[in-house]
Amino acid sequence: MTKYDAIIIGGGHNGLTAAAYLAKAGKKVLVLERRHVLGGAAVTEEIYPGFKYSVCSYVVSLLRPEVIQELELPKYDLEIIPLDSTFTPMPNGDYLARWGDHAKTRREIARHCATDAEAYEEYGKLMVQMAMAVKPMLGLVPPEPTSWNLKELFGLASIGNHFRNIGDKLLYDLTKLMTMSSADFLDEWFETEVLKATMSASGIIGTFMGPRSPGTAYVLLHHYMGELDGAFRSWGFARGGMGSISRVIADAARHYGAEIRTEAAVDQVLVKNRRAYGVVLGTGEEFQANIIVSSIDPKRTFLKMIDAQHLESEFLSQVNHFKIRGSSAKVNLSLDALPNFTCLPGEGPHLSGAISVSPSIDYIERAYDDAKYGDYSRQPYMDIIIPSTLDPSMAPPGRHVMSIFVQYAPYHLKSGTWAEKREAFGDTVVDTISEYAPNLKDIILHRQIVTPWDLEQEFGLTEGNIFQGELTLDQLFFLRPVPGWAKYRTPIKNLYMCGACTHPGGGVMAASGRLAALEILKDLKRSFI
Amino acid sequence: MENYDAIIIGAGHNGLVTGAYLAKTGKKVLILERRSSVGGIAATEEIFPGFRYSTCAHLAGSFSSEIIAELELQKHGLKILPLDPLLFAPALEGNSLLVPRDPAKIVEEIGRHSKADAEQYPLFCALINELAAFLRNLNSLALPDGTSPGSFNLAHLVKVGFRFRRLGKKEMYEFMRILPMSVADLLNEWFESETLKSAIAASGIVNSFVGPRAQGTAYAFLHNLSGQSNGAFRTAGFVSGGINQLPQALARSAQQYGAEIRAGVEVAAIATKNGAATGVFLANGDEISAKIVISNADVKRTLLNLVEPTYLDPHFLLQVRNIRSRGTVAKINFALDSLPNFMPAAGNAAAARLGGIIHIGPTLDYLERAADDAKYGRFSQQPFLEITIPSVIDPSLAPAGKHVMSVWMQSAPYHLREKNWHEQREALGDSVASVIDSYAPGFKNSILHRQVVTPLDLEQTFGVTGGHLDHAELGLDQIFFMRPVPGWAGYGTPIENLYLCGSGTHPGGGVTGLPGSYAAKKILKSWPHGK
Repeated sequence: MTKYDAIIIGGGHNGLTAAAYLAKAGKKVLVLERRHVLGGAAVTEEIYPGFKYSVCSYVVSLLRPEVIQELELPKYDLEIIPLDSTFTPMPNGDYLARWGDHAKTRREIARHCATDAEAYEEYGKLMVQMAMAVKPMLGLVPPEPTSWNLKELFGLASIGNHFRNIGDKLLYDLTKLMTMSSADFLDEWFETEVLKATMSASGIIGTFMGPRSPGTAYVLLHHYMGELDGAFRSWGFARGGMGSISRVIADAARHYGAEIRTEAAVDQVLVKNRRAYGVVLGTGEEFQANIIVSSIDPKRTFLKMIDAQHLESEFLSQVNHFKIRGSSAKVNLSLDALPNFTCLPGEGPHLSGAISVSPSIDYIERAYDDAKYGDYSRQPYMDIIIPSTLDPSMAPPGRHVMSIFVQYAPYHLKSGTWAEKREAFGDTVVDTISEYAPNLKDIILHRQIVTPWDLEQEFGLTEGNIFQGELTLDQLFFLRPVPGWAKYRTPIKNLYMCGACTHPGGGVMAASGRLAALEILKDLKRSFI
Repeated sequence: MENYDAIIIGAGHNGLVTGAYLAKTGKKVLILERRSSVGGIAATEEIFPGFRYSTCAHLAGSFSSEIIAELELQKHGLKILPLDPLLFAPALEGNSLLVPRDPAKIVEEIGRHSKADAEQYPLFCALINELAAFLRNLNSLALPDGTSPGSFNLAHLVKVGFRFRRLGKKEMYEFMRILPMSVADLLNEWFESETLKSAIAASGIVNSFVGPRAQGTAYAFLHNLSGQSNGAFRTAGFVSGGINQLPQALARSAQQYGAEIRAGVEVAAIATKNGAATGVFLANGDEISAKIVISNADVKRTLLNLVEPTYLDPHFLLQVRNIRSRGTVAKINFALDSLPNFMPAAGNAAAARLGGIIHIGPTLDYLERAADDAKYGRFSQQPFLEITIPSVIDPSLAPAGKHVMSVWMQSAPYHLREKNWHEQREALGDSVASVIDSYAPGFKNSILHRQVVTPLDLEQTFGVTGGHLDHAELGLDQIFFMRPVPGWAGYGTPIENLYLCGSGTHPGGGVTGLPGSYAAKKILKSWPHGK
């Protein structure tokens, strides 16, 4: 039997990234992916002939520039098409649009409220400042705050110093941002309801909270972080769909010598004397390695793949307490033509950016209220893109694919199952969009509904949580995924984690995969000396 | 013209505490109160003959024992009557929950609801007590003040760090993790009984605009337990003779130390010269000067109404305007002919259950739904109620055999979307009476008199902006160095010699006296002023 240096469980973008870094360092690496296609939640699939869906994740914003450089991703043909407008149709027949063109956006906001247009400038500047202050944290292995170890203390102190140095004012603003609700935060800046609602929506994506829930404001920052990297615009669409990102990372990993297998579902991690030494597939096939890296969420890793006898009960209870409630769903449509919005009829640039169904804060908050009590939203918040308007290769000529991110769709339904409710949910989504674009129903050729339950069953995301664990303050930084185990290591020796459940969390960033690989290489170096 | 060392605007309990501490060190102190009697929200009034209502606040069990000792309040007649039981949560169906004072008996009672919860409860209390004690400790550390630039000094941070590390690894992590959580998530990690969880969760949402699923409510929970903690339930107590006896005792203490108190005197403005406070102008036009002025009024009222805004930096003013102080509670006081009979009928045992907090809010979802209503600008028809019947423990408050009932009704937003509070006042009273009646049939027939105090009334009567009793919500963005506004947690203001000492300052609301005593300490430390 071949023995590997490292086996990566899961061929999602983080798993592939970790594999590429380890392989680049000369390690013999094997990636095992359960599905027939690589990429995890960053995949492109042709579910309906001729139409390509980015089945789950649909935009890229935070892909770390260091990963792009270090793995030389541009070599493997990666193209990100900027997606920089947001169009929000309103029930009263008006709309709000924010464009890539700054002056145009300003005029458009001023059309709704002159003071908001002013505030928008100031707000943008502050957010960029804050993003710059926070960004270094994304590339950092969280220190261990309870340790007396000098290195850890130094790590803590340098973070403390970093935030002391950004200046009091920014620090206070940042504290507010980390703790306030996005609705309250935006209320301090703006008056226009539809503007606040559309902006607040970016604060709730992937969370089980509403725009009035404290703790949602900081996600607003994500919108401003990508923009700083220079290489890419804030939001982008990968040519060929999100699967292209996974494909190029996989190409890089293979280039460095990693071996990648699909349809290889890991069933168990082999552990002996509290050391991981291999994995067993569902087929019974066994692989051994010095290091096992799980890119799967902690619940699946520790509660399903490892015998409980190898773990302390306290650790298991921490894993059990890890909040991972899924709250969103995806609907993908194949269209015969473009949707025609009543408030802005015909084709136009508004169909080439994000289309946001978020007419008011109350609208989104009510959508959340439904989910709190175990129903999907009767009037959901939706973030829609039509990738084929940017990349014609996604659909046959003249036809289109539409990607609809829907919130809220709670994993735990109060009554019934997702299997029973799937189609009704799809109808709700289509009906809601049809209120703004009445021709939609007539142009649908095919509809794919990905509920939180499907995200779990098909993509292995426990409870359908797209971030492998909620991004709330109690589950961030040195508390992610569980207190005491934020450094990608686990209580089982030689077993590591590298998924979105680790710092810095979800989104197609590839940061977790990279940081985990660098930590692993450190450990390897230490043990071989 | 009269000249004082310090003038205190408002004789609420915090103003009195600050005044007493300053007078105790020999400062010449004048305390001015707009209303006819001292005490602010700690008011006891005979609205209906023979019945003395706690018009606003009704519990004072978390008042700092240190202050009681240092200001010799017992000598001045303060007597706190501890609650027993701590809490009674009647149920519409199924088991009610009675939380006796004795911790051993609490476990037994919880066991009636869930064996697993009874086992968990002592462990939960041990953790919570430890974290609440640490929070209390943390609260007592001095915070940076906007007057000193580069305000986070390293020595201070190191001190906090050391105290933190003394907690132990597990507790340190739990503290960091729990602080930003929702109290619902926290309790769901520990318990299964909805009755128990909702009864405990109440401490995380009292006076709050948000429901138990909002992040930061676990912090509020710890905050409310950081007095003399008693497991997972608030240590609450009545004040013998009515809650107003607390400020009365404070006033006597302050006067004994030499402070002068004038009630029925309204301050119209704070006098300033060259960016420094020099005294106050009264509503009658008189001016009284002092070395320093300390405002017990809420922060918005002080800095937006009592001070000429041109003296303040626009950014600072914006921060003050942005303080969230959305009042969300209404107070309903009843004069009762007899004690309510909560189901299941308890007969003679009734009085034994009614000496503490009576909690209406049977499930976490119930509490959450009530808060949903406030979000959309309507008062809740199925609200969370915190009820006390102080006459059970203190018969002097009502004629023999009769009772006063004090009800905090939550999720009555200051800003109503439809109609106004004048139109809605009686509807609110009716709705609350009906809710109580559903838990205690016959209750409505026992009502002799009813007083409804809406958030608007709270603002108009007690002068708290937005009707918010804590002056500012206890959200994570409005605590510690962010309270009352970022960078000004040290009780000072950008106006030299003008200080704040009310609930809107660190460490926040509740009848604790802590903001007042910390403000006094801070002021005395930097005495003399304006030099």
